[in-house]
Amino acid sequence: MKFKKYTDKMLGETVYCGKHSSGLEIRVLPKEGYSSAYAVFGVKYGSIDTAVKNASGEFETIPEGTAHFLEHKLFESEDLNAFERFAKTGASANAYTSFEKTAYLFKGSDKIEESLEILLDFVQNPYFTQQTVEKEQGIIGQEIRMYQDLPDWQVMFNMLKALYSNHPVRIDIAGTQDSIAQIDADLLYKLYNNFYNPGNMVLSIVGDIDHKKVAEIVEKNIKKTEGAECERKFEKENPVPVQDYIEEKLSVAQKQFMLGFKEDISEPLLSLEDEIASQIMLEAITGKSSPLFKKLLDEELIDMGFGAELFNGFGFSCVMLGGTSKDPEKASAIIKEEFARLNEQGIDSAAFERAKRKLYGRMVMSYNDIDDTANLLMNLYFNGYEPFAEIEACKGVTLEKAQVRLSKIKDEYSALSVISPIS
Amino acid sequence: MPQIRMLADKVRLVSEPADKFKTGCVSVSMALPMDERMAANSLLVYLLKRSCKAYPELSLLSGRLDELYGAVLGAGVSKNGEAQVLTLSITSLADKFALEGESIQLEAAQLLADVIFKPNVKNGSFGEESLAMEKRLLIQRIEEEMNDKRTYAFNKCISYMCQNEAYGKDKYGTVEEIENVKMADVYDAWKNLLSTAVFQITVVGAADADKVASVFEKHFEKIERKPAGIETVFIQRGRRFNHFEEKFPVNQGKLVMGFRAGMQHRRDNIFAMTVMNDIFGMGTYSKLFMNIREKMSLAYYCWSRLVASKGIVLVESGIDTDKERKVSAEVLSQLSDLRNGKTDPEVLESSKRALREKHTFTTPEGILGWYSAQVTCDEIITPDEMVSGIEQVTMDDVCAAAKKLSIDTIFMLSAQEEAENEV
Repeated sequence: MKFKKYTDKMLGETVYCGKHSSGLEIRVLPKEGYSSAYAVFGVKYGSIDTAVKNASGEFETIPEGTAHFLEHKLFESEDLNAFERFAKTGASANAYTSFEKTAYLFKGSDKIEESLEILLDFVQNPYFTQQTVEKEQGIIGQEIRMYQDLPDWQVMFNMLKALYSNHPVRIDIAGTQDSIAQIDADLLYKLYNNFYNPGNMVLSIVGDIDHKKVAEIVEKNIKKTEGAECERKFEKENPVPVQDYIEEKLSVAQKQFMLGFKEDISEPLLSLEDEIASQIMLEAITGKSSPLFKKLLDEELIDMGFGAELFNGFGFSCVMLGGTSKDPEKASAIIKEEFARLNEQGIDSAAFERAKRKLYGRMVMSYNDIDDTANLLMNLYFNGYEPFAEIEACKGVTLEKAQVRLSKIKDEYSALSVISPIS
Repeated sequence: MPQIRMLADKVRLVSEPADKFKTGCVSVSMALPMDERMAANSLLVYLLKRSCKAYPELSLLSGRLDELYGAVLGAGVSKNGEAQVLTLSITSLADKFALEGESIQLEAAQLLADVIFKPNVKNGSFGEESLAMEKRLLIQRIEEEMNDKRTYAFNKCISYMCQNEAYGKDKYGTVEEIENVKMADVYDAWKNLLSTAVFQITVVGAADADKVASVFEKHFEKIERKPAGIETVFIQRGRRFNHFEEKFPVNQGKLVMGFRAGMQHRRDNIFAMTVMNDIFGMGTYSKLFMNIREKMSLAYYCWSRLVASKGIVLVESGIDTDKERKVSAEVLSQLSDLRNGKTDPEVLESSKRALREKHTFTTPEGILGWYSAQVTCDEIITPDEMVSGIEQVTMDDVCAAAKKLSIDTIFMLSAQEEAENEV
């Protein structure tokens, strides 16, 4: 297998990128002085994949929460389950499902090669029976209940439900009690075969391992050699939200809110530069050193947890701001006024420079962490970018670019989600 | 191996430099007895974090941190045994990443020292407005502890279990105490902190320990030290069984079972206790995970946690309210198996491997956390010493440690009949 080498001199890091003949993409970042490694084996299959393309090229709907359900079930096998196997190397193994991917991972310092073999093996060997599927419905049922009681989680998902009418970003990652009840072993096998092929996957490893060793292990352990990247269907959404206000009562002490602004996108994905320009713009306008933060805090409309971020992926992009507030509507009005004012008068250039420097610093800092770095390399690949592209993009962001990103935030595309206490 | 030096009476500097990290971290842990000053101490740490003489407003100090490439200034309050520990810390980029050749590390260390020793105080006042704001934010923080039912239930079990011990108090003090704090109390708390707290300054990664030492030493030269004595009460056996219940309008109930671990001090039998707790309910091979979750499908999580600094073990699980008896009986039955040696010998080996990994820290924050948690200990132990001790533990030791556990208190956060969370 051939590797292409990417080096960032400033950072002092080198990433080896390769593509196995099976179609599997590989990213390896050997870290000097580290005795541990973190590996993540990712599949482009997340909660937004609620349809699969059939033999005649049409998209067929599948129940909500299947990616997450499969994530749980892959740990099982006919004899020793994956956890039992990792227990023999000492590595800690886990997995997670997000909107756009499912990721299986381990971290360990001893027997790293053996752990890598286990990771590749268990993800490639599904084993489902009706009995084990039913058992998992109980466990995931409790997981769903747990999330239903978490205000931070609910305030965000309610906002997404208010913003999006069709895009599956509006559904819960784990699905619902009803949707997971529709899942059976046959369906899991069918979906597994559709999504879990090397062409739709990436392996990213950071730490005490070298790329040649990784190539050897992959060569020996990857079974399937066919299949390609799974296609997603892009349907342009009306930028106007379903509703501009959504409220839920939960057992909380004070009101919590999230204000979302949906972006009118005509392409499924934002460019990395746009993404980073938005992050800098939001930091400059809403960060702790901004006049907006001070005003909201002085008027007792937020607490120190107030924050803003861009949330985007295939077919969706929105800016969200939120925290705890005694008056979410007043806080929202002030935020909107500030966006409008800066749209007209321009973002303060000193604030922009500070925000850019902060983001640059935080990006460099993140390379300390082998977990974060491996996930970052996987995400860059899934979005079509080479290693270190985020740092290059950050350096290239100009005030003008940030200003353009601000102009995409429009009041008429916004929705306010509020969690209020049960009185 | 860490370097240890004393800067003043009970002011210890522990450092572990490492070039491989892209950041340097300095944290200052300040331990005080859990007495009538708790509320004022808590307010103090947040007042110190928001400004200092050189940057007398939150927005100015935040702006300064942004300029330092997004340096992170952290503040917190925690319980460590029966000590209230105030922490102020800073994480910043290694000097080699500075764009203009400045020394980020030194400036960050100086800023941290300024925040502690040169606060924005005029005539004994931190500013009435600032105090009022921090009171509001802290009270809100305490009231919002109920938002996360898992943590709430965990803390509630401790407060019932230790209601006659200092450990049963909220780490911040009560809402009423906070409301009653006057400016003079906060100023007195600051003076008291500098002269009586037990200090540990922990320096990890790219920070230069000599320079950090000289920055802090200068400040301590001017302070007359009278360090406070801090003692923690260890209760060997649980009282007769206590059960407490609170009802909330939630989807999922939370069960927390509190045990006394039969320890006489925080390092009493620590190696066997650590392994016993891990096999009981920490790893994926543990009795609680394997049975409550995997076999009986009753919960998504069921963990046990050893709080060595107080000699207690807590088991927590998110369950359906009507399953409380079933789950608590099963937890006790698993404990009984553990006491009676009904554990696969392979699990002991798995546990040792996993614990070795848990003590292999891959981030400066991990190393920092390990050492700073020892602020009140006379002797520092290293992760390697901990691992060597764990290696010696036998199955008999595990059984003996399990036999020392005695149930004290059960706290059940129950779901009310009708949860009215409708969107």
